[in-house]
Amino acid sequence: MKDIEKQLPLILIDNVDFTYPNGTKALRNINLKIDNKELIGIMGKNGAGKTTLIRTLNGLIRPTNGAIYLYGENIASKSIATLSKKVGVIFQNPLHQLFSNSVKDEIEFSLKSFEFTKEEIQNKTNEILKEFNLEKYRNRSPLNLSGGEAKKLALASIICRDPDIIVFDEPTLGQDGREIEFLINLIKNKRKKGKTIIIVTHNIEFANEHIPRTILMADGLILADGPTEKVLGNQILVEKASLILPQTHQLNLALKKSGIQCPNDLFSKDKLINFIRDFIKNKTSEIVEGND
Amino acid sequence: MSLEFLNAFKFMKKDSFIHNLDPRAKLIFALIYSISALLFTEIIPLILIFLSLIPLILAGKLIKQWLKSIQGLSYLILIIIIMNTFFLSLSFAISMIIRICIMVSAFSIFFLTSDPNDLALSLISMKFPYEFAFSLSLAFRFIPTIATEAQNIIDAQQSRGYEMQKSGLINQIKNLFPLLIPLIICSIKRAFNVAEALESRAFGSKKERTYYYTIKYSFKDWIFTLYLLSFLIISIIVRINFAIMPDWLSWELIV
Repeated sequence: MKDIEKQLPLILIDNVDFTYPNGTKALRNINLKIDNKELIGIMGKNGAGKTTLIRTLNGLIRPTNGAIYLYGENIASKSIATLSKKVGVIFQNPLHQLFSNSVKDEIEFSLKSFEFTKEEIQNKTNEILKEFNLEKYRNRSPLNLSGGEAKKLALASIICRDPDIIVFDEPTLGQDGREIEFLINLIKNKRKKGKTIIIVTHNIEFANEHIPRTILMADGLILADGPTEKVLGNQILVEKASLILPQTHQLNLALKKSGIQCPNDLFSKDKLINFIRDFIKNKTSEIVEGND
Repeated sequence: MSLEFLNAFKFMKKDSFIHNLDPRAKLIFALIYSISALLFTEIIPLILIFLSLIPLILAGKLIKQWLKSIQGLSYLILIIIIMNTFFLSLSFAISMIIRICIMVSAFSIFFLTSDPNDLALSLISMKFPYEFAFSLSLAFRFIPTIATEAQNIIDAQQSRGYEMQKSGLINQIKNLFPLLIPLIICSIKRAFNVAEALESRAFGSKKERTYYYTIKYSFKDWIFTLYLLSFLIISIIVRINFAIMPDWLSWELIV
């Protein structure tokens, strides 16, 4: 990445509107600035415009009004093929992209649009299969994989292209606990390597626990954009976006309602555990002292 | 690439003379217009048949959707012009284009104005087995769903560098695999899911069924059918006696 590129916001969405041919206004006056290495969650009810918004980032959808800048450059004239090298979008349904004879071929297909030699493609394929624990399925048909493994393969086939921006559409949908854990570790690793990550999700607990910045959308508009604990802690906004408060926020409210004095920023799981531990400890010692 | 044109075959509820006709009358209409189009290879009779469709399109308030269906044919029209002009003549190419436009327009009007549920009911009243009628109406209902799915597949493949417009015939054919295989797999999976959902709701458990809604061939349907039959008879008579028809009917472009 050039020095000048590092100074510019990675993604700048300027007054973007999008209306589908049937007249549905999916995006209205969207303004966003996303910096390098950020991890962002986009949340909201179905039909809020989340998926439409991420589709504008790699040119699958061209805004009806406004402009999108990537490293300060307007993407309007860039092809999807060019943009997809920088912005990797991982779709909800893995079956929409798996078609090759084997897991290995599926990864190689994604690498063929780059000017890699045959040997480089093979090396990169081996690396990615190892990283995603898919080596044992190397020669298996992608259509014979389980739902979770197919999703992993779809993810691997985008990650192998090493895009600067990784966009996930509902990555936790239909995933078991271990698969979600794998996803969390993957996101952490990619951030360490300087990648920017955008996640569209309905999983409020996942967002509350792992995503530092959240954008809340409804009816094609951005309702809120800020630190996750503040955005998801705002009951009115959360209800407007047809979501429910995260469990930590609900517990916080319940504690306050029952008259227990607790700090206002008690939204993370760790902070809550520490508070409850201290609270029990204090209460126990009070009782012991009272008995003495 | 957009599959938006497939919406030109999706039923849209409206209140119009065409929408209120019995689906059987509209099925007869689509078939008779297609047969009439196949009877002629000359430009003028085909133009006349095509023009006779316009009042029906207007009566059904379908201009926008109909234009989309014709727009969807643009690639096919281009191929027809190139192939026919090269091997036969421009006149024949134009005739073939009008013929296809007539057939597509007739079926587009049929699909746009016929509720798939009414279509099933009309087939049952024509003594088709219920399972067959239901499957057919279900197939029509799934056309827009498949179009949406196809668009998602195109988007997913393009997101990993798949380029649709590659030059060369072999490349173009190769290019179809990343789209067709996921589409077929997803369609088969959906078919199984729908079948299981139907069975879990005891589909086909009773041989004799009763229906909440029934449809009736009304007076206006009979009038419309009469018009269609006379249209077909006139077309056949003109075809048989084409040699003694006025010369302007057989006019063709000389290039």
